[in-house]
Amino acid sequence: MSTIVTTRHAERTVRPAPAAVEPVPRDGTARLAALRLGVAGRLGGAVAVLAALALALFLVLPLVAMAGRAVVERGEWDAATWETLRQALRLSLVTTAVSLLLTLVAGTPLAWAIGRRTFRGASAADALVDLPIVLPPAVAGIALLMAFGRYGLLGQYLNLFGVTIGFTTAAVVLAQVFVSAPFYVRAATAAFARIHREVEEAAADLGAPPTTVLRTITLPMALPGLLAGATLAWARALGEFGATIMFAGNFPGVTQTMPLAIYGAFGAGNLATALLLSTILLLVSGLVLVAVRWIAQHDW
Amino acid sequence: MARLTRRSTVAALAGLPFWAGGWSGGSTRAAGTIDCGATTTSAGGRAAAATPVAMRAARFPATGGTLTVFAAASLTDAFTEMKHDLEASHPSLTVTLSFGGSQLLVTQIQQGARADILATANLSTMQAAEASGNLVGEPVAFAANSLTIVVPTANPGDVASEQDLAKPGLKLVLAQAAVPVGAYSRQAVCAYGGQAFADKVAANLVSEEEDVREVLAKVQLGEADAGIVYQTDALAGGDKVDEVDIAAGANQLAAYPVAAVKGGNDALAAAFIAYLLGPDGRDVLQRHGFQAP
Repeated sequence: MSTIVTTRHAERTVRPAPAAVEPVPRDGTARLAALRLGVAGRLGGAVAVLAALALALFLVLPLVAMAGRAVVERGEWDAATWETLRQALRLSLVTTAVSLLLTLVAGTPLAWAIGRRTFRGASAADALVDLPIVLPPAVAGIALLMAFGRYGLLGQYLNLFGVTIGFTTAAVVLAQVFVSAPFYVRAATAAFARIHREVEEAAADLGAPPTTVLRTITLPMALPGLLAGATLAWARALGEFGATIMFAGNFPGVTQTMPLAIYGAFGAGNLATALLLSTILLLVSGLVLVAVRWIAQHDW
Repeated sequence: MARLTRRSTVAALAGLPFWAGGWSGGSTRAAGTIDCGATTTSAGGRAAAATPVAMRAARFPATGGTLTVFAAASLTDAFTEMKHDLEASHPSLTVTLSFGGSQLLVTQIQQGARADILATANLSTMQAAEASGNLVGEPVAFAANSLTIVVPTANPGDVASEQDLAKPGLKLVLAQAAVPVGAYSRQAVCAYGGQAFADKVAANLVSEEEDVREVLAKVQLGEADAGIVYQTDALAGGDKVDEVDIAAGANQLAAYPVAAVKGGNDALAAAFIAYLLGPDGRDVLQRHGFQAP
């Protein structure tokens, strides 16, 4: 092994084959120890399998129960139910699409800059980007209000020009980008950091201009990571609730996304509507996840 | 069947929001309107029963225990004070409080949440809990409350009377119609100016909140120009909000019933109801601006 690699690429280098497993000595005590280990191992294995099955069941059961109950309650659906669904689903799909677009456009260069450590403090930025991921949504809501609210740090100046963000669809998008963009940036940063610099350099040496290198080498190689990050970010935006209800309010067709409509219907004692909306959200999310996985696994 | 390609799948995913955007349904709006024909009965209904004498006499058992109270959001400050009073005078007693929109509390109890006491801000939510068999005994009225308009102290919407709620461009926040205060607010608007006025007010609605304290919070922050809350909430709002009176003719009187919840600790529940209706409970309620039932 004499390949010269930077530390970032270390995981890609071929490691020496592991030493052959020591043969078990052929005396009785050792054989007994090996047998006992085998029993313990088998018991441990059985426990692990049971635990795994229990968790899988625990994750699936509530969703099955919800979808099943939705079908049972279908007699309660009325015109208002369908209207709530139409407005909320439409708003959720449009706002999450806009949020994702903003995240991709701004997040990709940011992730590239951080992943390539192109500036001083890139590792600090890397850690900072993760911060909104660990924040509870309520904290995000308060923080957005303090920045963009009518009397917020920035909002007060916007207000002077007659621009208010609270209670608008724009506020929904801001809340979604705030909580979801870090998921994309994190995944994209890792994807860019993994790419072998030599491949890009080789292409450049062969005369490819930087934009060609970016288009034909860097982006295609990072694509699986970018796609995974975009999926995570979109899913997080779709589920966004706390920051939205605090910062954007709750109004049908304007700020009432699917999660808010579900909470509202449940609170109003309208379980059938809450069930229908929840099940539809489950189906839409599932379809998108399957589609993205399919895109990622198949070649052009 | 058309062959799926990666390109077509990407295109389909990208097209999803636009498909949804073009999807137009019926013309009925699920919410966001004020219908003066529909809101008149939600706060009414029969009056709560008179208090049986036995109920007033119940005392907290010496063994103490944990009392769980589900109460309307507007009761937050009064009931929190009661909790401290009760825990101070009964060292073995722990009071756990859960506040929210009355309709949400009832839904939670119907879905199996454990509680000893339910106190709501109107009779219809209490009747829903009674109809589903979640209560023990008759609900008893223990307080009343009236409505008021609250505005941020800077009064950016320049609201001076309920007439101004119809001013074009005003940012008005109400609780959603299923919340007691949301129903009362809509009745007050209808009683003041009828359907034509209510339509103008509805056009100013920017958010429908899940309970009265969320309405208050949006006004306190200055995000909304005006909101309708209970008198007691305006008091709790402190110096961040100013009140604009609603004319007596249009104002609504909210009645607060309390009942013991099935499956709870009956002895503790009876003792709490006795305390609530007794002089000590009345005193706390009065100090927080509640009226006698």
